[in-house]
Amino acid sequence: MSISPATLRLRTALFWAVPVLACALPLATNPYTQFVLNSMLISTLLTLGFNMVIGSLGQLAFANVAFFGLGAYASVIAMNDLGLPWLATIPLSGLVGAAGGFLASAVALRGIRLYYLAIVTLAFGELLRWLYIHADRLTGGTDGLAIPREGFLGFRLGDDTAQFYVFLAVTVVLVKGTLNLLRSRLGRSIVAVRENEIATASLGIPTARVIVTAFMWSGFLVGVAGALFAAHIGRVFPESFGLTQLIVGFAMVLVGGTGSVLGSVLGAVLLTALPEYVRAFPGMEEIFFGLVVIVVLLCLPQGLASLLRRLSPVFLERHFRE
Amino acid sequence: MLMQLTLSGASQGAIYALVALSLTVVYRSTTVVNFGHGDLVMSGAFVAYVLVVGLGLAFLPAAVIAVVAMFGLGVCFSRGLIRPIRGGPHIGFALMSIALGYTLRGIARTVWGREVLPMPRVFDIEPIFLGDVVLTGDALFTIATVAVLLGLFFAMLTFTDIGKMVQAVYQSERGARLVGINVSRFHDLSWGTGAALGAVGGILIAPVSFLHPDLGASFLIKGFAAMTLGGFGSLGGAVLGGVVLGLAEQYAGAYIDTALIDITAYLLIILVLLVRPRGLFGRKAVVKV
Amino acid sequence: MKRLPTFLAATALLAAPALADETTGLTDDAITIGVMGPFSGNASSYSKAEIGLMAFYDMINEAGGVHGRKLVAVQEDTGCDTAKGLAAAKKLIFQDEVFMLQGNSCSGVAVALRPEIEEAGLPWIVAHAVSDTISDPVAANIFHGVPTGNANGRAMAEFVLSRPDTKKVAIIEHSNDWAHSYSNPAQAYLKEHGVEPTEVLTMERGQTDATAQVLKMRADRPDFIIAALYEAETAIFLRDLKKYGLGDIPVMGTAGTDLENTLKRVGDLETVKNYYVIHPYVDNLDGPGMQKWADMIHKYYPDEELTNFSYIAIGSGVALVKALEAAGPDLTRSKLIAELDKISDLDTGVLSAPITWTADDHQGVKGSAVSGFVDGKPTVLKAWGQPY
Repeated sequence: MSISPATLRLRTALFWAVPVLACALPLATNPYTQFVLNSMLISTLLTLGFNMVIGSLGQLAFANVAFFGLGAYASVIAMNDLGLPWLATIPLSGLVGAAGGFLASAVALRGIRLYYLAIVTLAFGELLRWLYIHADRLTGGTDGLAIPREGFLGFRLGDDTAQFYVFLAVTVVLVKGTLNLLRSRLGRSIVAVRENEIATASLGIPTARVIVTAFMWSGFLVGVAGALFAAHIGRVFPESFGLTQLIVGFAMVLVGGTGSVLGSVLGAVLLTALPEYVRAFPGMEEIFFGLVVIVVLLCLPQGLASLLRRLSPVFLERHFRE
Repeated sequence: MLMQLTLSGASQGAIYALVALSLTVVYRSTTVVNFGHGDLVMSGAFVAYVLVVGLGLAFLPAAVIAVVAMFGLGVCFSRGLIRPIRGGPHIGFALMSIALGYTLRGIARTVWGREVLPMPRVFDIEPIFLGDVVLTGDALFTIATVAVLLGLFFAMLTFTDIGKMVQAVYQSERGARLVGINVSRFHDLSWGTGAALGAVGGILIAPVSFLHPDLGASFLIKGFAAMTLGGFGSLGGAVLGGVVLGLAEQYAGAYIDTALIDITAYLLIILVLLVRPRGLFGRKAVVKV
Repeated sequence: MKRLPTFLAATALLAAPALADETTGLTDDAITIGVMGPFSGNASSYSKAEIGLMAFYDMINEAGGVHGRKLVAVQEDTGCDTAKGLAAAKKLIFQDEVFMLQGNSCSGVAVALRPEIEEAGLPWIVAHAVSDTISDPVAANIFHGVPTGNANGRAMAEFVLSRPDTKKVAIIEHSNDWAHSYSNPAQAYLKEHGVEPTEVLTMERGQTDATAQVLKMRADRPDFIIAALYEAETAIFLRDLKKYGLGDIPVMGTAGTDLENTLKRVGDLETVKNYYVIHPYVDNLDGPGMQKWADMIHKYYPDEELTNFSYIAIGSGVALVKALEAAGPDLTRSKLIAELDKISDLDTGVLSAPITWTADDHQGVKGSAVSGFVDGKPTVLKAWGQPY
């Protein structure tokens, strides 16, 4: 489908308007709502990473929560043991996550696919969690690791508003980066591999490289999210990187729209905000998440992003194929 | 000590075998792995609990009703939630099954959430001592029940017309459809059978493990490990994989370190992957690309 | 803050008044109290503590409140998850603007909350979580109203060693922060007294069999076993211990379990008769000393099943009411904190040890009794063979 130049300009304007407007949000927040906003940005990166592999590449890889934990631990350990400032640990955590992604892609390239891949990556994640608990000299074991609260670049790490601007900048850069990747030849090959791997290979596209790239980029995004999460919570525990986190991440991908960048953002924002509203009904969260996923699967399999696409071509993503 | 470990490993392994088999039954016929299966195991146990403790039924009829109810739930799940999304990507099935499990667990927690409930024991006989080895009613009952059930299951698969039909669908779904087999209904029945077998596992383990909403979570992972070990998709392999896992846990725990028991399943999954991706008794597990 | 853009600084100022206000969350007829607990998730059995606490508020309110003010609980779920817990705390402090906080069952969450709440400066009485690092080093506004892990762990080890000729002690635990908060101080106490644990074994949550662990113990028969296990796993472990012929070895458990409910689960006295637990209360759970608290909870929460978690937060509620009374009708946060610091040797009528807070030490409850079966009846004990 061709998109008119006017629509393209409108889209670019919209894309930049959102973060610019978001800059003003801290004027209207209290520390609680600010904290929730920050959570949304972390969830956005997480969902973006999940979506890259399960949506765009179409592989059932469940190791993302493991990369999230890797990123968080890498950030805290680099701060505590190497004395790095938190900002410098963000790309580092991303690289650690990407290395994890590389490992997972190596598994996928051995021909372990679909549910088998899901189970292997699931096992990998749980093994890592066991390691966090038992490698206590490095990870602080079950007590977790606290991060230094004193400052970076003049502001305190405990300050939610200061964090927000860093998180926002990082998220915008990575969302843009993801969009650019998906628009590139390599990125379009990712979707092509999902649709038909053999046909893609027969066109002379190096599918192995495509798969490795998707996994590593996904790991990078999630690793960065881990570094942000460490600062956000102020302390990392093995318990933070369990299966519940995984299920919430999947729900975000699905509700937003599998394979869609816009969907990742929407899903993350919505499903971070909604549980705050059902706080008044404790214990209902599991049923809530379960039912949301079921309803979306049945009634809106392409997620909320597909609704927006129907509304206006502004929301079409060039890389996207239903 | 070895004998004792083997005995309790076999008894745990019997449950894992059942869970792995029930996962495989669904997988073989529908190519879907049920990520909510652990919660079906838990639900089966809770239904039996309600019947025994709430309505005062005897254990056996309660167990039968619970298994039938779970069969019904499995069929409904297949019809109502899996059929409508057929043709979609696999991630949809995975998420649907996770969502079902999550919902069931949420319901169990809302109703019984803050208690750990005791399930009345069935075979509460005095332990039998054979030298140093202790035989308990629970272990014997579990192993015997699973053995009989598996015997019936495989006999049916091999010797009856239904079994032949099942084999036919496994071989080629299109072929089966051509000779007039209703494949959709077959899928429904597979989901039902999977749920029912899982429920048996839950009912057998509940008197030993007590009842709580998170009961199923660990059995899902054990089922996966057994399935992987036995060669992804092989029915017999799943059963053997379950027993091997049960034994491996006990041996690793007693001879190396008790901290290993919990991750034996994960280690086995990774080990199989590295050494022999097709599993011990491998059907071809690897997707050709 | 210097290098921040000015508008950033301005927002920080906008948020600031909420912190400084001494009477936030206070009206002429109400004191709002944020009660955080794991009302959902796989640790929700702990939230019985918060239910007990809120029943206590109800009782105080029915009697007219404190200086004409009712204690109004604002309940928030932490799900025993740090991220959720932080959101809950921030919501209570900055959005609901409560006067103070009381509650928290999960140690991990409470530890993660500490810096945030210390900075916010409002009084927080920790009413269930045991980790020592929540209140040590001391924070001016954070008070620990239950025996800490250290106090409990040492009490466990002390009881174990009070049994004559205890030489060999084995430990079995979950590998999580909860279990370690008991078993680490217990091991430290044992070592101080020249007893090195013969074995430290793991039994994870969700395990349905303890054969490997028990057989390891059978190899060198310990004189006493310390078990830091949750409810279901405790029952499974005790059952397997009996099954493999080690039922006569005494087992020392944590405050995470109790005798009455463990007996109910296992269903057979023979299996649990050598089980002892940390018992932070004045009487058995079904004894006359605890009856009035049980009646109180059932009055306001008729369907609540009572376990030993149900009563653990009440003692800190008693201390709060005493401090509120002493602070007088012109209540402020600073006045309350000053009065909490003066609570000394307070017999709460529910906790077995008194509560004493001083400006230098906010770990108010220093000891715990132990409960065990004597002639088939749960009995509170001071030491091996000595009734309380």
